[in-house]
Parts: sequence; structure tokens; C-alpha cells
Amino acid sequence: MFRIAIKMLWGDRAKFAGLIFGIAFTSFLVTFAMSYFCGFMTWGFALIAENPSADVWVMDPAVPSTELTTNLPDSALYRVRSVQGVHYAVPMALGTAEVRFPNGSFQSFQVIGVDDASLAGIPPIQAGASPSLLRAPDAVLVAEGGTSDKLNTPARVQDQWPYGASHLDVPTRMLQAGDELQINDRRAVVMGIAQALPRYPARPLLYTTIANASRFLPPERHRLTFVLASAAPGISARELATRIQASTGLRARAASDFKTDTVLWFLVNSEDVGDIAAMLLLAMTVGFGVTGVMLYIFTSENLRHYALLGAMGATPRLLIRMLFVQAGMCAMLGSGLGLGACSLASYAVGYIDYPFRLMWFTPLFGMLMVVLVSLGAAALSVRPVLKLSPAVVFAGR
Amino acid sequence: MVFALAAYRREEPAMPPPSSPAVRCQRIVKYYGTGDTRVVALRGIDLDVYKGELLMLVGPSGCGKTSLISVIAALLESDEGDCHLLGENIQRMELEARTVFRGRHVGFVFQAFNLLPTLSALDNVAVPLLIHGLPRSLAETKAGALLERVGLAGHAHLLPSQLSGGQQQRVAIARALVHEPDLVICDEPTSSLDHATGHSIMQLLRELARTQGRALIVVTHDPRILEFADRIAHMDDGRIVDVTRVPGTSHEI
Ligand SMILES: Nc1ncnc2c1ncn2[C@@H]1O[C@H](COP(=O)(O)OP(=O)(O)O)[C@@H](O)[C@H]1O
Ligand SMILES: [Mg+2]
Repeated sequence: MFRIAIKMLWGDRAKFAGLIFGIAFTSFLVTFAMSYFCGFMTWGFALIAENPSADVWVMDPAVPSTELTTNLPDSALYRVRSVQGVHYAVPMALGTAEVRFPNGSFQSFQVIGVDDASLAGIPPIQAGASPSLLRAPDAVLVAEGGTSDKLNTPARVQDQWPYGASHLDVPTRMLQAGDELQINDRRAVVMGIAQALPRYPARPLLYTTIANASRFLPPERHRLTFVLASAAPGISARELATRIQASTGLRARAASDFKTDTVLWFLVNSEDVGDIAAMLLLAMTVGFGVTGVMLYIFTSENLRHYALLGAMGATPRLLIRMLFVQAGMCAMLGSGLGLGACSLASYAVGYIDYPFRLMWFTPLFGMLMVVLVSLGAAALSVRPVLKLSPAVVFAGR
Repeated sequence: MVFALAAYRREEPAMPPPSSPAVRCQRIVKYYGTGDTRVVALRGIDLDVYKGELLMLVGPSGCGKTSLISVIAALLESDEGDCHLLGENIQRMELEARTVFRGRHVGFVFQAFNLLPTLSALDNVAVPLLIHGLPRSLAETKAGALLERVGLAGHAHLLPSQLSGGQQQRVAIARALVHEPDLVICDEPTSSLDHATGHSIMQLLRELARTQGRALIVVTHDPRILEFADRIAHMDDGRIVDVTRVPGTSHEI
């Protein structure tokens, strides 16, 4: 009878195609939107991801994420280094600077100051320059950080300083090694373009040593934002974090936990994220609503046929099983197509800088939702099918 | 009303029942609705239908014919009275058991054919067997054999929409007979067909369906097909007002 159930479904090609397309589209939409969302979230903790050798991030006890930071006294670094189980620990300084281009235009950059000695935290540099160049005074690396066209410097020499007046509407080109910038009236020399991970929210990035950073950034009593500790062999990141926290009184988080913190912080505090989540929810509601209703309508239109099967001896149990086979078939085919399309899309967006991350749980979630909705629709259809008196088989034509 | 009662007459007591009854209805009463809108569809029906006979149920529209056959097939519960099908009071059965019992022992032919539109003729005929859990190959063999007997061997893989009305009704007859039921109920099987086609459908029903041990109830208000009946039960206003035996027909017992 399940073959018959499927033929009942399949027989009405137009409706079946509509149903499958609806489910496929919805599961595509949901999976895509969720991957997009996950993509944003991974961009949100790009700073943590960029420092894979840091097992533990140490910060002021009040710092909730990489997005909202305050600084630590310099002594924090030594206190962390003195904790047993810390293999090594390096400082990191974060700040924001208004960077002026040679034509007088300016752009806000996030400054990431790294340990002068180890240069830990510097992403790979495009076009072969050595990171050790950064140790030169005023040397910086720049990165787009998910933005576009924000690293543009005047293309022609006559538009560059010394500027008597600004040359704002002039042809530009991308910054390159050797270009100069001005930060807080100090000269900065671009040593190269860093292949930094894109950020969420997107922002141009400026990598330099902490020594340089403290010259560029406005003077502050404390310059140290994070201490990045790596664990000695045989000790887990979480364990080390607990130890550091206990002995220094600072907040210490294993990198994976700090990523989670940051994602949660975004979920709670970022309006954009709230908007994305709301859109996602809306898309899901509409998509699944439509899908559910379509399945329900399909059954309603087939009520007469179920009544006929009932008259011919199909028990309610058999009819219910047929309903669920039909719903399950739609769910499987539809979500399969949708997820297939989504993984194709993930290949496609892999070629452009796009926040898209197909996590393992995303298709599962999409699938689960489709199955739940289909089962829900089938469950809703059960009532009319059961309530229907088989006597309607004699009613009219 | 008085007239109707006066006209009521049982079969001549001299004639012995041709065989044991497949259907025995006793004082069946059926209402629809409640209170002011209550309609009494059946007002105390006593009726026996014997194995091997073709009983026609005739009467004006709205007199309760469909209600009666629905009660007989246990598609509808009566409000009073008892109806035994093959000796079983199937209204007293659990829903599931009743459904299975009906599926095994009753076949239906409808005025509007009621074929499943997305299934081929063969699949349609096989459905009652598949419902009873027969393996697909066996069901299709049997269905194919019946399609052949109704003269549609070459049409097995066509959809109902590709068949004429008469052909669809033949498929429906094959479907009603494929599981060899003890009772076949036909609700106005010829009303959607022209006279010649209706005639051939009745002929087919008589030849194929009316076998020893099987009872046939055909509801109709088409006087042209009355000649096919063994007995005719006349209904009016929820009552059986007359049962006549058609002369010249005999039972194959
Ligand atoms: N489901 C129903 N609800 C209410 N009244 C009904 C229903 N079915 C039939 N009736 C009424 O019961 C009476 C008998 O109907 P029916 O058995 O269909 O007669 P017939 O088949 O002889 O035309 C009619 O008056 C009809 O209006
Ligand atoms: Mg009727």
C-alpha cells in the first residue's frame, strides 16, 4: 500500500512538484541562512581563530568578548607567565585609530599590536615580505578585514602629501608595501598586506608591534588587552584557564570557550545579529508554514480517496501510515534537494569573500525542521482523515 | 403514510427463502442531525438479502436508499435496529475489525466510479487486495485476470482519465470483485452512463458478480435495468413499501 500511497502523491505531478519545490526551497533557505549566520559568527571571532597557538586568552575580568575590551596593567603578562603549566605567554594590544591617507582622507582601523619579540598573532603576509620587517619603527601591516575599497590610497604622486589641501576625489589604488599613512600625526609605513581573516563587523585592520602600537594609539595608562597563553604539554586549555584564573584573579578562557563567549555576546548585544536571526526566523516560519499548509492541503484534497480506501477495508492505522509515508517522502526528497542546492551554493560562495559556513549541524537542523514540519502537517491531516465517515463515498459525483 | 403501510407486503410466505441471508436487517432506523433539523432517513427497515440473488433497491430520490446500503455495509451506524452481515452484527465490532471485515466481504460499485485518479486501471483493481496485505505480484496477477474478464485486458496501464465512462465502470466492477466478496453493493451504477453502456454494465454485473453464494444489492432509479433483478425492493420515505419477485428469473441454486 505504500507504493499506492506514493503513487497517489506522485500521480499529481504538478502538485507534487510544487510540494517538493516548496520544501526544497525552504530547506535551502533555512540552511543557507543558517550557514550565513554561522559564517558571520565565525567572522565575529576571527581574532581568536587567527591565533590558533593561544590555548588560553587572559583578560580583564569584565571583558565579555573580543568586541568589548578594556586593558590590563602590564604586570598581568608576568603574572600569567608565572602560572604553572603556562608554556609561554604573549601580550596583545587592541585599539582603534583614525588613519589618514596621503590625500587627506581618513579611515578608522582596528589596531592589533602583537608581541615585539615573537610577533605572535601576525597573519601571513601577501607577496613574500618577512614579518620581521614589522620590528622597524613605524612599520605596519594592513588588511581589509572583510571590507572592500577601504584601503585605497591616491594613485598619483601629485595627489599625495605634502598636501596643502585635501585631494579627496582623486583616482585611487589599493595600498601596497612602501605606502605611507599617518596615524595620530605619526608616520606609518605599510610593509605589506596581511591575509587576515575577514571580520564581523567588517573593519580595516592594522597589525603592528605593541611598541609601535603604543606610539600610534593615544596614550593610555595600560596598553595590554589580552595575554595569550599556550599550555605546557599534558595540560588542557580549560585546566590552564582555571589555573590562571585562580592564581591571577584575571579572566582566563580556553580559546574555544572564548569563541563561544564571543558568539553569545553577539547574539545578545549585536542588533545586526538580532536582525539576521529575526530574518532567519521569519524565513523559516514562512517557508515551513507554507510547506506545512501545502502538505495539509494535499491530504485534504485527497480526503475522498482516503474515505474510499477506508470503505474498501483500509484501517485507520493503515491510512495514517500512508499519510506519514507521503509526508516522509516529501520531506526526504525536498530536503535532499534543498540541502544539495545549499552545498552547491557553499562551493559557489567559496570563491568570493562571503560569510558562509556550512557547519555539521546546519543541514541536520534544516533536515530536522523539514521532517518535523512534514510530520506535523501529516499529524494535522490525521484528524480529518479519521473523522471522515467512509459513507461519503456514496456522496455525489 | 397509511397507504404506504397498506402497500407493504412481505414476500409470499409460500415461497421458501432461496438460501440463507447474506444480509439481515431488522427494524433499522437512521436519523440525520438533531432537534428541529432532524431528518429521519430510515423508518424501520426489515430486509433480508440472500446469497446468490440480485436485489434491486428502487425508489424516489431522497427515500433513503443510500442510507440503507451505507448501514448494511457498516459505513454508517444505524440509530436503532440491528443489521447482520454474513451472520455478524458488524456494527457491534470495533472500528478496526469492522473495517477489515468490510474490506474482506464487501465490494462496492459507485455511480461516480470513484477510481483513484492517479493509479492505473490495474493498480486500481489491485487496491482491495493490497489493502488486505497480498503481495504485489499476486495482487497484480489477480487484478489483471479480472480486467481481462471485464474486457479491459489491453487497458491495464491506462489512467482512469484515459478511459470512457463505461470502461471506468468496468474497472470499478473488476475492483469490486477482485477479492471475491460475499456482498457487492452498487449505488446507481448506471446513472452516469448512457442506456446502452448501462445495459452492458448490468449484463456484466449479472454475469460476473452474481454467483452462487454472493449477494448483490443494486440501488437504482433507472427503470430500464429492473429486468436484471431477481427481487426488487421498493422504498419510499424511509420504508420498504414493497418487495416483488421478478418473474422469469430463477436462482442458480
Ligand atoms: N449526511 C446527511 N445529513 C443529513 N441528511 C442526510 C444525509 N444524507 C442523507 N440525508 C437525508 O436523508 C434522506 C435519505 O437520503 P439518501 O439515503 O441519500 O436517499 P437516496 O439515496 O434514496 O436518494 C434524504 O432526505 C437526505 O436529504
Ligand atoms: Mg442516493
